[in-house]
Parts: sequence; C-alpha cells; structure tokens
Amino acid sequence: MKTTELLKAEMAQKPEGAYAPYYFKYLGYRQDYTAPKTEARANAVYALFTKPRAYIYKNDWIAGSIRPLWVQAGAEGLVYAGRVVPGYGERDFAQNVDHFSPDYRRLVREGVPGLLRSIQKSMRKHAARPEKVAYLRAMRRTVLGWKGMIRRYAKQAAACGHAAGYDEEKLGFIQKNCEFLTEHSPQTFAQALQLVWLCHQSFLYEGRAAMALGRMDQYLYPFYRKDKDEGILTDAFARELLENTFLKIYEHRAYRDVDETINICIGGTSPNGGCDVNELSYLILQAVRECNVPGPNLSARIAANTPDRFLDECLQVIGTGLGYPALMNDEVNLRALRGYGYAAEDVYDYSMVGCIENFLSGRQPPWSDGRFDAPRFLEYMFNRGRGIRNKSVGIDTGDLSKISSMDEFIQKFERQLQFGVDEYVMFFNNQNTRLNAEEYEQPYLSCFCEDCIGRAQDICRGGSKYPSVHGAALMGIGTVSDSLAAIEQVVFTDRAATLSDLARALKKNFAGYEWLRQKLLAAPKYGNDDWFVDKYAVWFVDTLARLFSRYRTKDGGPIYIAMAANISNIYAGQTIAATPDGRRSGEALSDAASPTYGCDVLGATATLNSVARPDYTKVACGTVLNQKFSPGVFAEEEKRKKLLALIKVYFRKGGQEIQINATSREVLKDAMDHPEKYPTLVVRVSGFSALYVTLAREIQEDILRRTQQE
Amino acid sequence: MINVSDIQRFSLGDGPGIRTTIFFQGCNLHCPWCHNPEAIPLRPQKMRDPRGRERVYGAPTDIANILAVVEKDAAYYAESGGGVTLSGGEVLLQAEGAARLAAALQAEGIHVLLDTAGDVPFAAFQKVLPFIDAIYYDWKAANAEDYRRRIGGDFARILDNLGRLIEAGCAVRVRVPLIEGVNTAPDYAEQMCACLRQVGAQEVDLLPFHRLGSAKYRALGLAYAYASVPSMTIQRAKEIAKIYQKYFKTKIEG
Repeated sequence: MKTTELLKAEMAQKPEGAYAPYYFKYLGYRQDYTAPKTEARANAVYALFTKPRAYIYKNDWIAGSIRPLWVQAGAEGLVYAGRVVPGYGERDFAQNVDHFSPDYRRLVREGVPGLLRSIQKSMRKHAARPEKVAYLRAMRRTVLGWKGMIRRYAKQAAACGHAAGYDEEKLGFIQKNCEFLTEHSPQTFAQALQLVWLCHQSFLYEGRAAMALGRMDQYLYPFYRKDKDEGILTDAFARELLENTFLKIYEHRAYRDVDETINICIGGTSPNGGCDVNELSYLILQAVRECNVPGPNLSARIAANTPDRFLDECLQVIGTGLGYPALMNDEVNLRALRGYGYAAEDVYDYSMVGCIENFLSGRQPPWSDGRFDAPRFLEYMFNRGRGIRNKSVGIDTGDLSKISSMDEFIQKFERQLQFGVDEYVMFFNNQNTRLNAEEYEQPYLSCFCEDCIGRAQDICRGGSKYPSVHGAALMGIGTVSDSLAAIEQVVFTDRAATLSDLARALKKNFAGYEWLRQKLLAAPKYGNDDWFVDKYAVWFVDTLARLFSRYRTKDGGPIYIAMAANISNIYAGQTIAATPDGRRSGEALSDAASPTYGCDVLGATATLNSVARPDYTKVACGTVLNQKFSPGVFAEEEKRKKLLALIKVYFRKGGQEIQINATSREVLKDAMDHPEKYPTLVVRVSGFSALYVTLAREIQEDILRRTQQE
Repeated sequence: MINVSDIQRFSLGDGPGIRTTIFFQGCNLHCPWCHNPEAIPLRPQKMRDPRGRERVYGAPTDIANILAVVEKDAAYYAESGGGVTLSGGEVLLQAEGAARLAAALQAEGIHVLLDTAGDVPFAAFQKVLPFIDAIYYDWKAANAEDYRRRIGGDFARILDNLGRLIEAGCAVRVRVPLIEGVNTAPDYAEQMCACLRQVGAQEVDLLPFHRLGSAKYRALGLAYAYASVPSMTIQRAKEIAKIYQKYFKTKIEG
C-alpha cells in the first residue's frame, strides 16, 4: 500500500470520547480566575498547547494531529468547562478570528527562538509602557506554550518507540526534528515543513478554521533548494513529506464529520515580473493529487508567463475530479489589490484564505465576509418595499406604473441596492464589534502577523501592518442580469406586458401568468455572449463595487466585493420570491459569478466571453466561476491543450477565476442513488471541495445542474 | 445566403483546436444512424431546442451574420490552433455559399476545415478548395451496393473524389463511423481498408457509434432505427481499430 493509503487507513479508527479543545482552555483559565483578560487568555492558550497528549501516526514523517483534543467522555470537569469557557467569550468568523494566512515566511526563517527574541526586543523597546509589556508577556507565554507542544511531540516520538507497529526510522526523524525546532530555526526542508505544520496545528487547537498554509512553494523553497543542492533530499521524499502533511487535513472529515478548507497557494508572479512557479509548485500539486481528499484547498495563481506545462499539470489534477486547484488570474488579482495602496511587495506576496479570498499573507487581521443577496431588492421594488415570500422589509421606491423607461427602472433599483448595502454594513459592523478587539485579544495569533510584535499591539487593534478588510460576497449576478434584460425586452422593448403585470405575476409566483413567464424566459440570458444582457452584469459589478466602497471596516480597512456565493445562493433563493428572469419563488439564485444554471447554452467560449465582461479589478476579494467538463476532456493531452487555450484566453479577456468539476453527470447521478458506491468521490462545491455523498441532496442537484460544457 | 442548420461554438471534436462548427442544412445521403437528422432535409426544419423552445433549423442565413458569430471566438481559435469547421448536412450541396464563406474566413486568417461525405460532382470541390485548409472525408461502406442500399450514395463517385483530393495534395483525414451490422465485421473492415488504400489514404479517424442524437428524432417526430442500439464501447472500438492500424495512422475520436 502507498503511504497515503496507510495513513488514511490509520484514520479509520476514530478517537474515543468528546472533541473538547475548550476543556484544555478551561484548565488554563482556572489557574487564575482573577487574572487580567490578556493574561487569562494567555493562560488558556498555554494550557491548550501543553496539556493534551501528543499523538503520532505510525506511517508518518511529519507530526501534528488534532487527535489529542478528544477528551474521555465523562472526564472530570468536562461539563463545567463547557460553562466556564463561553464565559470568557469566543470570537467568531465575523470578529476576525480565522480565515488567516500566517506569516510563515518569517516563521521558517527565524523559528521559535526568533519569535521569542523579537518579543524580548520589543519588551525592551516598550519598557515604559506597562500595558504593552503585559501584552508582550502574554505573547511570550503563548509562544512558550507552543514550544511546549513541539517538545511534547518530540517526547511522544521517543515514547512510541516501544509501541507496536511503529517504525523506528520515522519516529527518530520526528523526534530529532521536533527537538531541534524547540531551540533552533529550521535548517532542512523537513524541519521547515514540520514547524509550519505544528504551527497550523496550534491554530486548530485554538479552534480556528480555514487557516491557510499560504504560499508554501515560495517560503519552503529556500530549504528545498538547499537540501537538494546538498544532496540530502530527493523529490520523491519531499513529495512524501508533503503528502503526509496534507493527508492529515483529512482528520477533520475522518473524526469530526466536517471538511476543512485549508487554502494552499502555488504559482504567481514576482515583483520583478518573473514567474514564481518552481519545482516545489509541481511537487505540491502532485502531493495533493496523491492524497485525493477534500480539505487542502489548492489555489494556483496563473499569469501570462506561467508555463503551459504547469497549467497542464493543474488541469490533470482537476481532471481527477478533485475540483482543485482553483485557477486564479494573477494579473487581475494583483491589479485589484494594488488599488488599495498596499506596498507592492506585499501585494505580490498575496495568498488566498478559505475558498478564494485574496489575503495579504501575514500582514492583515483574519478575514471576515458575508453574503449580499442582491435579487431580494427586486422583490422590494415590485412590492412597494415589502417582501413577498417572507415578511421582510425594505424601502418603497414608488409606484411601478409611473416608471416609463429602463433608465428610470435602473435608477430606482440602484436606490434599492443602496439601501441593501447600508443595511448589510450595519449588520456587519454590529456583529463585528460584538466581541470587540479591546476585550477579546488574540496574543498568540498576533505573533504570526507583521508587525504586532514590534508594535506590541493586538492584531485587531492596530498591530497588523494593514487594517482588517471585509468581503461582501455578491450573490445572483445571473439572476439580476437576466431579470433586468427580461424587463428591458418584455416591458420596454416589446411592450408585451407592463411592470404592474409583472408585479402581479411575481406576487402570484406566475400562477395564471405562465404566458408572461414564457416571454421572460425567452429574453436574452447572461452567459451567451450577448451584450443586451451582459451589460447588466457589468453594471451590477460597477454599481455594487461603488456602493460598498463608501464604507470602511471599523479599523479603517476597505470593504471588498466578491463574486462568490459558497452555496448560500441555494438557501438565499429559498427565501426570495419569483424574479423577473422567470425564476420561480424559492428556487436557487444564480451561483457566484456563474450564469444561471442551464441558461448558458452556446458553449464554454460564449459563457466565458460573457463572464469576462465585468471589471474584476474592482472585485478585490475574489471570484468563483464554476464550470463543468466531462472527464474525457482531461484524459488526452490534445484535448487538455484546448482547455488550456480556453482558460488563457478567458484570463486575457479579464476573467478572474475558474474552477472545474471533471466528474461526469452520469457518475454524479449514480452517486445520488448509490452513495455507498462512491465513498471517496470528491467534487468542487463552491470555493471548496467536498465528499459528494456527504452533501445535502439539494446541493448535489445544484452541482448536477451546472451547465456541462462538453 | 447559406441554409444553416445550426452553429455550434466550442466544438472540440470537429478538428484541431477550439472550433466553431457551421452545420449546413440538407444532405443527399440518408444514413439511418445519423446524429443530425434535422440537417438532412433540404428545407428548414422546426424542432424544439435543448431548452424546450421551438426553433427553425436550416433557415437562410446571411454570410455576414455567420461571420459575426464566428468572430466572437477568434481569440480562442488563435490560442488553440483552432478555427471553423463546415459540416452538415452536406456542405457541398451549397458549394457556392460555402466557397464565399470559406473565402471570407480565409481572408481573416481563420483556419477552415471541410467535413464532407463526398457524394457531389468534383466541380463542387473545386469551388471551395482554394479556401479550405483541411478536409474530413467520411467513409461509410466498402462497396457500391451497400452505399446505394443503406444510405443512397454513389460509391464510385465518392471514392473517385477522395482519390482526386489526395492526388491534388489536399490535407485529407478519412472519418469512418463505426456502425455495428454495417461496417464493423473484421473482413468487412478489411474491405473498407482496401478501398482507402487503393486511393492512397494515410490517416483515418474512427468514430464509434453513439446514440446522443436519439432525442432529436423524438423532437422531429421521426422513428430512429438505432434508438435501442447501445453506444459503442471504447474497448470494441479499439478492437476494430487494430485492423485500420495495419494500414493507416489511426485515431479513435470521441
């Protein structure tokens, strides 16, 4: 058996007891219930890192597992811990706690000792400021806790030597590396990778999700190069180390029934215009392919100078049906980010967090985002400010029968959207300040973001080099564009119905108005390379980018927009009445940046020509375009070349992202009826991949409905 | 004007690179396995499109309108080494129009591929040849009797035309639809090969039968003789390919 399979087989045995990281935090808090908040948090993190027993797999070269976080059910204090810890407050996604790409570049350069030295240095610098010294002390305590965790893994490796089924060579390797890392910065590729993985584990111990691994092919490359030059590393072994690392992301699926979304970024462009693809980029691709699990969410930054060979390897991995890497247009992303005044070298070093969110690696607070369900505001417009399907309330933009032109309609709709954006930002700001940074500090996380240590300042209180950003994910570009085009065609061009007719039809969910619905359906649809409707998609992005740009996050950062939905388009659709594109009440909204499923009927070139039209340099957060091709397209190099050309032209035309499912419709259908036959079928869902059979039926159906292009 | 049955963008199976395929309306053969039955009659056909809406296939279309569609994907042709494929139906029943369209495409530097069944006077070929970069030439049966009886074609003329094209140095690939009960028995396949060798064919694409066209027959209200014949498996196609591989550079398409 391959090592990945052996390791995966080990995960078949679930840990006993309850997943209870909070229990270990509780052990820390209770050391001193009267401690000041910063110190109390540091105590909790220290206990969390040092109390759990380390766990090492038998078939592993890289240590670091979430298994130690399971506590025997009924353990003393478990229930009590469940009451104490929430009392200290747990920040959530909206309060900048996860979706973060740490400063691993610095970590692998300086190691644990470097972190501690920096903290010491900053303490001297801020000696006159007791609150800063206290914060730095909290930082140091958490880092020492992490150092303790690394030491525990070293000791565990030594202890395992006597247990059955362990390989001495592997244990010795882990023991040596972990021991070394407690006192030194990494010297080899394996040590650098081990350090990063244990750092990543420490964030998981804390309960953070979607913590990115960032640009691994860049920050690990100096180690890879040096080891190769010295002849102490082969590509095969480097790949095995990477496989061992990535496969452990599968722990979340195996033990917790959830999929993690650990973004790994490969490729990209250097500030001097060169191409950043290197040998390690390929090895990471191959390792992820070999693992064949959901969770390592691979993103490839593709530019005009990216070698075809690399893009072709990406397509081969996609062709296995894994759905990743997602392909990112580096030029569009760079231009979008540069618009915010960040230093050039920081922009070029961006990576992704979570699904597709562009992130200044280790230089800004953790991400937050939300979804903006734009089609809801059509409902308010057609019902005098009230919801039709739900008793929601918007604003009344007046009597529709008085609207005499498409321009006038658009103006009123823009007022609706403006109200929606105001409302969205209000909700976000209130959520975001609920567990505010002043009260809920993150001394440990702050150690991995420039320049929190130097400023002795929390990551969310001005410690980070740049302020927090928020991403507003716009849903329903297809639904809105198709609706506006249908109104222009049916009401203002053909004069086949009035806006009042349409209002009645929408309220009745087209009952008795099938004649009108047919006319609406016959109007041009987004995704068919037709400017009549594509112009509304361009307008959609321009308008919402402008409306959101009026706001800042509470620490002064920008609000980006994203063209992404992350399957929320299904749930949002369930609350939204019929829309003028002919969509019935409760049906899904169009997904992410994609045209409405089944409406783009002229083939991939037409779809991509349409989708490339909006100005994505205004979409700094990122975009998701789901496309589906039959697996046969990936099987032959000749056909992949056609796909490669398709993607290159799409990017040249200004498209921002494309992600591809390569599983045939037949397989997906069969997997719905016979899930037992497909336990390992991984598909791209939205900004992430998942095991198909674990998805809800409506999401499976949605994936099935995505237009298959060949 | 050309009677165009359909225009299909992002065609991956009709020649090199990413292509747009122009399906000409009307065919003088009647292959019972045909997957484009709407393109066989000379007159325009009404049929429901994949979205369920009634559409006319085969209406007279301005060459300028065809070019407007074709040009939308020019960047994709250039990047992928693709272009435009003229298919059908039988393109050369409208040889004048085909020549004008091909000339216009050639003037824009777009690669043009002609897909034909070849049952036309050679003069029809001569009209288009100056503007054509490559030819896909269908080959369906091994003798005059079968050509006449099964699909209503003139074996001698089709074979003669193929020979003349090869002799004239045209880039010709022969395309053989693999139809069980028609042309797949080993000795019959040998006869197919013999015909092709006789005229000096070099490259052969084998197209395993698929029944993806059956929905179209239903939409047209026609009976489909091959409705219950399963699509050919790749293994079976590979078996048959072994015979062709003895004589030609052979590829299985699809």
